[in-house]
Amino acid sequence: MSSPLLDITQLRASYGEAEVLHGIDLSVSQREFVCIIGANTAGKSTILRSISRLVPKSSGSMRFGGVDLAALAAHQIPALGIAHVPEGRQIFPDMTVEENLLLGAFTARNARDLPARIADVFELFPRLRERYRQLAGTLSGGEQQMVAVGRALMLRPKLLLLDEPSHGLAPKVVEEMHQAFKTIHERGTSILLVEQNVELALDVASRGYVLEAGVVTLAGTAAELHANPAVVTAYLGL
Amino acid sequence: MKRWLALAAVIVAVALLPLLLDPRGYWIRVFTFTLLFAAMAQAWNIVGGLANQTSLGHAAFFGIGAYTSTVLLLKFGISPWLGMLAGGALGGLAALVIAIPTMRLQGHYFALATLAFGEVMRVIANVWTSLTGGPGGLSVPFVPPSLAAYSFKLLRPHAYIALAALVVVTAIFEIIRRGAMGYRLRAIKQNPAAAEVIGVDTTRVKLQAAVISGALIAMLGTLYAQVAVFFDPDTVFGIASISIRIALIAIIGGVGTAAGPILGAFFIIPLEEVMNDLLSSRAAGLSQLVFGVILISVILWRPRGFITVFDSLRARLSRSGAS
Repeated sequence: MSSPLLDITQLRASYGEAEVLHGIDLSVSQREFVCIIGANTAGKSTILRSISRLVPKSSGSMRFGGVDLAALAAHQIPALGIAHVPEGRQIFPDMTVEENLLLGAFTARNARDLPARIADVFELFPRLRERYRQLAGTLSGGEQQMVAVGRALMLRPKLLLLDEPSHGLAPKVVEEMHQAFKTIHERGTSILLVEQNVELALDVASRGYVLEAGVVTLAGTAAELHANPAVVTAYLGL
Repeated sequence: MKRWLALAAVIVAVALLPLLLDPRGYWIRVFTFTLLFAAMAQAWNIVGGLANQTSLGHAAFFGIGAYTSTVLLLKFGISPWLGMLAGGALGGLAALVIAIPTMRLQGHYFALATLAFGEVMRVIANVWTSLTGGPGGLSVPFVPPSLAAYSFKLLRPHAYIALAALVVVTAIFEIIRRGAMGYRLRAIKQNPAAAEVIGVDTTRVKLQAAVISGALIAMLGTLYAQVAVFFDPDTVFGIASISIRIALIAIIGGVGTAAGPILGAFFIIPLEEVMNDLLSSRAAGLSQLVFGVILISVILWRPRGFITVFDSLRARLSRSGAS
């Protein structure tokens, strides 16, 4: 097998004095859909934040397509092709949907294909086309999350980092959202998904990691994890 | 197109006003200071409005500008125009030095840190007597009148220079606001977390805004010194006389908009003058009290500034026009 797109070894990360990740090994291959599951405060978001260089204190090796991420600052990450959808619908509320989307691509070198990029987002989330000139802060929760995901896709990323994208959304919207993730993956983007809804995560992803208190306790294909008694009792509640 | 015509008409009308005022009189002086304070509040607006960092220390850069050009003129006979450039460079540098430790602070913490920096500069100017003349202040020497020497017999040229300064600073503000830098600053203001993940170099953009704002306000310090002819540390580095006043002008007028600081200045500066004129001879301090009451009423009535009066007027007009 060729070397993975994202290769993390022995990642440790701390907030102040408290270490929250105690040596994580994780990889995402080209065109792979990987999920990280686990309880709240296990450190799932911190893995994504470390990749995006938003955690000031981290050590270990993080390589993306041969580039050492640890040597870069947060604002240099998107240009590599890593798009991050942070937790909790992080949109620009007083800007229109259009402005939100355009800002997602502002680090892109080639600006001529912006209309094509926007068309791709509309194809995925037709509702955003109707809301194009509306202020993003006036949208429903689900629509705001679509803006956040759409903004990330404007980068045409190689790797999409999704942090709890279905948190706090209506079940119908959650379903729609996961359908969109499948489509994004089929179009050729690698995805690393952090999700509390384990059932859904294992449904869309092909491989997963179980994180507990800053340590990877289990890893395997989605089918293996779904069949694992420990996962079933702890997360699937069956 | 219609908006540009309206804008040009307003500028021409304001440009004609100095011709109507007595060139030796009191009102042309008030008018000149109003334009200067509008330009200062506009420069402040780059940091306070676009980056949403309410600085209460902009007197630091203003005073640096006033002192730099005046000291260069007094000691070396250098034209205030060149002194203005030197002051702008020093003011920008000072803004960079203060922004590096303070830019991560939010809200009140940022305001207090910048307030302290302004005070530090005032104390330095008071004790560094050999350079600044100390608490006694500095008098700008009168040199034979000429544009190159920035020296005039009457106030009229000063009024036009102040007007030109206001137009230039407002243009810079609008260019920043509408351009990529304005979008970056708005992104940081509305959602710092999202701004970082889309690749905004938040540190760099904030520093750029601070330096541009500091350099502009320092250059306006030279204009102030040339009009005022005399100043001391307490006036150019003052909290109430400069720092809070310019922040207030922008906030009352409408923070983050190009028209806001101009509206604010044309409200506050003449109002202060009228209040002092009417009330100070009868009861000292009463003018400040009345002034305070008016400001509180404005903030309660129009929390987002006078600019919103025009928005609601336009809404009412279009509604009645439609019916």
